[in-house]
Amino acid sequence: MLSVQNVHTYYGKSHILHGVSIDVGPGEVVGLLGRNGVGKSTTLKTIMGLVRPSEGTITFEGRSVAGAAPYHLARLGIAYVPEDRRIFRLLTVLENLRTGLDRPGVPPERRDALLAKVYGSFPVLRERRNQAGGTLSGGEQQMLAIARAMMLEPKIILLDEPTEGLMPRMVAQIHEIIDVLHGDGVAILLVEQNVRLTLEVSSRVYFMEKGVVRHHAPAADLRRNDAVIHQYLGV
Amino acid sequence: MTRSAAGYWIGFAVVLALLVVAPLVLPEFWRRFVTEILIWGLLAMSLDLLIGYTGMVSFGHSAFFGLGMYGAAAALLTVRPPNLWLAILYGLVGAGAVAVFVAYFSTRLRDIYFAITTLVFSQIFYVIIFTWTEVTGGENGLGFSQPAFAIPGVVSARFTPVTLHWFVLAVVTVSYLGLRRITQSPFGMVLQSIRENEPRTRAIGYHVERYKIVAVMLSGLFAGLAGVLYALQNKFAAPDFVFFLVSGEVVVFNVMGGMGTLVGPVAGAAFFFLLRELFSRFFTEYYLIPVGIIFTLMVIFVPQGLLGFLRRRLNQ
Amino acid sequence: MTIPFDLLLIQVINGIVTGMILALVASGLTLIFGIMDVVNFAHGELFMLGAYLGSTVFLTTGNFWLALGAAVMGIGLLGAVIQTTTLRPLLGRDPLTTILATFGLSLVLQNYALWQYGPVPRKINEPITGHFSLFYLEYPWYRLLVAVLSAAIIGGLWLFMKYGKYGIWIRATTQDRVMAAAMGIPVPLVHTVVFAIGAAMAAASGVLFGPLTGVNHAMGLDFILRAFIVVVVGGMGNLGGSILAAIFLSLLEAFASIWVSPAQAVIVSFVVLILTLLFRPTGLFVPTPK
Repeated sequence: MLSVQNVHTYYGKSHILHGVSIDVGPGEVVGLLGRNGVGKSTTLKTIMGLVRPSEGTITFEGRSVAGAAPYHLARLGIAYVPEDRRIFRLLTVLENLRTGLDRPGVPPERRDALLAKVYGSFPVLRERRNQAGGTLSGGEQQMLAIARAMMLEPKIILLDEPTEGLMPRMVAQIHEIIDVLHGDGVAILLVEQNVRLTLEVSSRVYFMEKGVVRHHAPAADLRRNDAVIHQYLGV
Repeated sequence: MTRSAAGYWIGFAVVLALLVVAPLVLPEFWRRFVTEILIWGLLAMSLDLLIGYTGMVSFGHSAFFGLGMYGAAAALLTVRPPNLWLAILYGLVGAGAVAVFVAYFSTRLRDIYFAITTLVFSQIFYVIIFTWTEVTGGENGLGFSQPAFAIPGVVSARFTPVTLHWFVLAVVTVSYLGLRRITQSPFGMVLQSIRENEPRTRAIGYHVERYKIVAVMLSGLFAGLAGVLYALQNKFAAPDFVFFLVSGEVVVFNVMGGMGTLVGPVAGAAFFFLLRELFSRFFTEYYLIPVGIIFTLMVIFVPQGLLGFLRRRLNQ
Repeated sequence: MTIPFDLLLIQVINGIVTGMILALVASGLTLIFGIMDVVNFAHGELFMLGAYLGSTVFLTTGNFWLALGAAVMGIGLLGAVIQTTTLRPLLGRDPLTTILATFGLSLVLQNYALWQYGPVPRKINEPITGHFSLFYLEYPWYRLLVAVLSAAIIGGLWLFMKYGKYGIWIRATTQDRVMAAAMGIPVPLVHTVVFAIGAAMAAASGVLFGPLTGVNHAMGLDFILRAFIVVVVGGMGNLGGSILAAIFLSLLEAFASIWVSPAQAVIVSFVVLILTLLFRPTGLFVPTPK
């Protein structure tokens, strides 16, 4: 469904991605692991159209989307949950959700159903719906960022380190949400530092090093044999 | 001396020689035209020290220019007999005093805030000059007669259009060489480092504000000098020249000619006035319609200006 | 020295009336800056062209309200054209380049108006001509109507921004352009629409202001400076701050003009601006972040 082939990306003059190739099938949860600064976040940003690749192809459901405008990609069904969450801090929780909900062609019943569903998964967001996004705690902001992405009814969500800085209880909740999304048939490309979580939720895992994908294996194999993990992550 | 330096001085000598000969061969209209370009070119160069070298866009240079004019007027109207050097001194003092004031406040601010503050300061002086009729002549400005060119014991001669041109040329040339020296000095290097990366310049240990204040003051003094020359040539001082549209036009000269080159802004002034002459034939006093369009297009497509554009072309 | 109470009250009303018109101009300016870092030097010209367009429609139809509507539509459209042709290519460059480009545009528009309409000021008649007694003055009802209409337009903008779907899009884009795009908000379109709204508001204030002083090609110059001051004093991009600053400064100027000529009263605003920049650079009505 999403296919990234030999993508090169630059920030100004520094060459960040040196030919990254990743595939995600429909409804598949795929992990992307690697140490800090190897280009995992840049890979997600490049897919989302926030950085323009200088070379390589990105196709989504068969059409080429490399260099397309982010809002166009969002409408096609790619949602993005950035590492720093990027909540609209001065907008209320409900308004944050509405940025994704107020698309053309969403009838009122479906809007209500979507909101109800997200409030069901994240009851705290219903409680705080009229509170400014910036006043939420870190964990609540993460919930909001994921909930906001769900408003787009995406076919794939690009999740960048959703558990970073969260308490274990919150991490468990993120785990649940990923399972729920997976159950709904939403594909996920998950960038994480939390190896255990990644291996539990993903079907396949890619390992990145210095701007390229070095290794790629089914998560089941990695759960049995952690030598590869030691090799690429040094844990 | 390296080859490019030799080339530079040859080019400088050729242009200078052409400008010396110009008033002797050009008809009256074009002679005056060249003299005016030199004066506006000096004003544009003074602004380049801020825009091009320090990265501060001043929208208030009309204040320095205007105070130079009114300073010269003060000397020529109050001191008998009118003295050329006193006119220059008064003009520089006037512009310098305003520059200290503006520099002290505006250099605490950056980017668009600096631009807006300088704009507002120049308007303050505009309003004062425009409304203080008893002293400044208000809307009508002040008229006076041209002083003679006099060095006590050596020479005393009334200006003719040709000698005035030479005088202006001499002042502008010396100012250009002075500004060039400033931009190449260690002080100028610090200014350019502020333009490139202000926090880093501060981190290295330079007192950035002090450098900026000196830059604004120097720039103001050269702008004031241009104002004095303009007053001498036209024998009047008028509030129109303090109005912020004049500042805007000087920014236009810089952008058109190429910021950060000193010569570029002069070329920009020449280009602007040539366009004005050309379009005045078709659009009469509405020449700013096509000139404004050309300027806006240049901001979008040729942000490095004529000189930067030519340089890039030659390097290819 | 005592100031007669009646004079003071008259100046309060005058200050509020001009303050509301100024607020209308400034809120467009600050909206545009807040969302795309564009300092629109041509804003005063949009105000002036709005007044001219209004006067043209008024001369042919004799209907003030039709003139107001036509100016709002026409200048809004012009704003959209300016944004797409001139400012869109500058997106991502230094905000200073937008000052330069819009300064160029303002020269073009101002001279176009002079060329098209000539130097003789034009008149728009007030839609209501009645007066009421205010101490020794016959105060025109129209002036109060101007204040009310300006307040209504600003209120409408506020409701639109607060509750409208596009209002949320605009606020989201103002806060985080990149994330807004990632949420499927068509950011380039939002920019164009915001510029058009700002232009339309400037045009509306131009038409409302027209009957007070007449319409001439230089009226934008005076207003743009005051609007700049208001926007900076209120805090760049801060809508509420701009409105407060507009009224505050207009009141100050109205009081100052009890003693000095209106031309000199402007200096009070200049001084407030400089003090604000020195001591509260993020705006007079917002706490400066530490």
